[in-house]
Amino acid sequence: MDKRLLKRERLDRLIDGVTRGGGLFVAPRLDARRVVYGPVTAADEMEFDYIVPGNSFKEFFFPRTEPVARFSFHKQGTELEEVRPEPVETVIFGSRPCDAASCASLRSVFTWDFVDEYYTEREDAAVVMTVACTQGDESCFCTTVGVAPDGRDGSDILLRETEGGDFTAEAVTEKGASFMERYKDAFEATVEGREKEVFQPEILDGVDLERIAQWLKDKEHYSSPLWPEVARKCIGCGACTFSCPTCHCFDLVDEGTFFEGERRKNWDSCQFDYFTLHASGHNPRDTQYKRWRNRFMCKFHIYPGKFSTKGCVGCGRCIRVCPVRLDITEVMEEISKVP
Amino acid sequence: MEDKLRQKARELLSSGEVQVVIGYGWNRRKTRTTPVFITRPEDTDRLVFNPLCVNNLSVYLTRKYPDIKAMGRPAVVAKGCDIKNIAVMVSEGQLKREDVYIIGVTCGGVVYRQELWQGELKPGIMPVKCHNCDVRNPHIADVVIGEKTDFAPPEEPTGMVFDKIAEIDGMTPAERFAFWNEHFSRCIKCYACRQVCSLCYCERCITDKNMPQWIESSAHPRGNFAWNLIRAMHLTGRCTFCGECERACPVNIPLNIINQKMSLVVKDAFGYCAGYDPDEHPPMIVFSENDKEDFIK
Repeated sequence: MDKRLLKRERLDRLIDGVTRGGGLFVAPRLDARRVVYGPVTAADEMEFDYIVPGNSFKEFFFPRTEPVARFSFHKQGTELEEVRPEPVETVIFGSRPCDAASCASLRSVFTWDFVDEYYTEREDAAVVMTVACTQGDESCFCTTVGVAPDGRDGSDILLRETEGGDFTAEAVTEKGASFMERYKDAFEATVEGREKEVFQPEILDGVDLERIAQWLKDKEHYSSPLWPEVARKCIGCGACTFSCPTCHCFDLVDEGTFFEGERRKNWDSCQFDYFTLHASGHNPRDTQYKRWRNRFMCKFHIYPGKFSTKGCVGCGRCIRVCPVRLDITEVMEEISKVP
Repeated sequence: MEDKLRQKARELLSSGEVQVVIGYGWNRRKTRTTPVFITRPEDTDRLVFNPLCVNNLSVYLTRKYPDIKAMGRPAVVAKGCDIKNIAVMVSEGQLKREDVYIIGVTCGGVVYRQELWQGELKPGIMPVKCHNCDVRNPHIADVVIGEKTDFAPPEEPTGMVFDKIAEIDGMTPAERFAFWNEHFSRCIKCYACRQVCSLCYCERCITDKNMPQWIESSAHPRGNFAWNLIRAMHLTGRCTFCGECERACPVNIPLNIINQKMSLVVKDAFGYCAGYDPDEHPPMIVFSENDKEDFIK
């Protein structure tokens, strides 16, 4: 399909179309002084001047908390009821290529040895409309991990900002093409206006992903003195994992009264000290740097060893939110230069 | 100032008086500062001090870090506001005063968040605590580095935090609930507030105890209220307003408002301000027959 033009004033038409049918239109918007992906009902709620939203949009497919079952106890017995996800058409407008690439990463995990329909059904019902990056900051490192600021992976429709503030639109997938067909009155056939230049984050010369993967693979290096050296300052919060578009760990917890309650699927973080705490009291990751090591190994060794998708997409959120500024790219450089 | 700081750190490490200096260093691009742990005299040149040094490094003195404790006796680079936390830790028996060497640094204020820095410290980018700071010259230290400042804080505390407290005090209970519900609903339970806080030193936080599960760990409004309120209660009379929790919060929950409100309540009821005297116990952990009772209704 050829490129079309999505004028900014036509966005309301698109939003109306999606939300009128019971769908969810998610776009960058301002919330408590930061730009985040959130549901909008009109274009004037949207933000267009942002680098990458503070949250990742995984929360629309993989909510921070959701019930998966309900239970109650009676004299007569126990009742169990499954709670099914109820996916609605979800448009993610203004995604960045890094976030779009992360959909495939999450899908790899959630369809690995078991299909987690709570994730897949929601993602299946989503249309990802990515806007290529025209700005970035020092935390952006997508190009270092092989994602491009105008990359198409994971997007259904790729948009580019024009100098006049509109967007050119190009369908990337069948799903994207049929979405553009369905809402064709929002898209114009003739493309006018120049596309803005794409922002290219600097490729970090000192990083060698191949070398990192090899080094991590060697079991000897698991207890390398480099780990405490680089990660001693980690304070063990979950800000990095919860902001990360590819972190996917969750915990199942039961909540309620003695007589009834629900089982919930909640985000969990490998940075928490009780993440690996055994019932015996033993904790194989007994200090913080070992938990940080796990996150790093997950991204660059465990994950790539299992799946062909990316463990890290270079969005830079973990760097931006870290209260102690533990910069993952600095560790990538450190490991790359180990002789 | 940095020369003197480095020199002092070198002396301390060379003489063996301390085995590690916990301080601030640059990141690779020299755009942000980050905690550093210096163990060799020749590495002391990595130490820096400037308005980007926002972290309260006293968190590394808590028992949450057995690996740091195992490094030996620490020296810590601390601003007056960070030292307040050390004072509370000493008063609560978490630390003996002699177990840490405090390298106090005089401070002209820091930035609220490092990303606001554009090469110059302007009042607009400083947190409320700096505008009301009475410890720019460190009040407890083994050595003080830097020029003495003659900054005097305003008689009555001023700034956005205090304006907001007054505004919330004037709200009806329903409005207050709505205010906090809106902010707490953003909470993702990453516990950055707890982890960055040196007074949240429990090895097992109440929210992580699951036999029974006292606090719902789900990040839904009920669970978020439970968590944020219990943390505020546990810091009551202990919080020194270092502001680290609000700075660390990735979803911008105004935690300074709630913690500072509790501090004002304690000040009013017990005449106590946390962080000044390491020999005085915070009022919520002691029993005194002289306590006022007029607030019990």
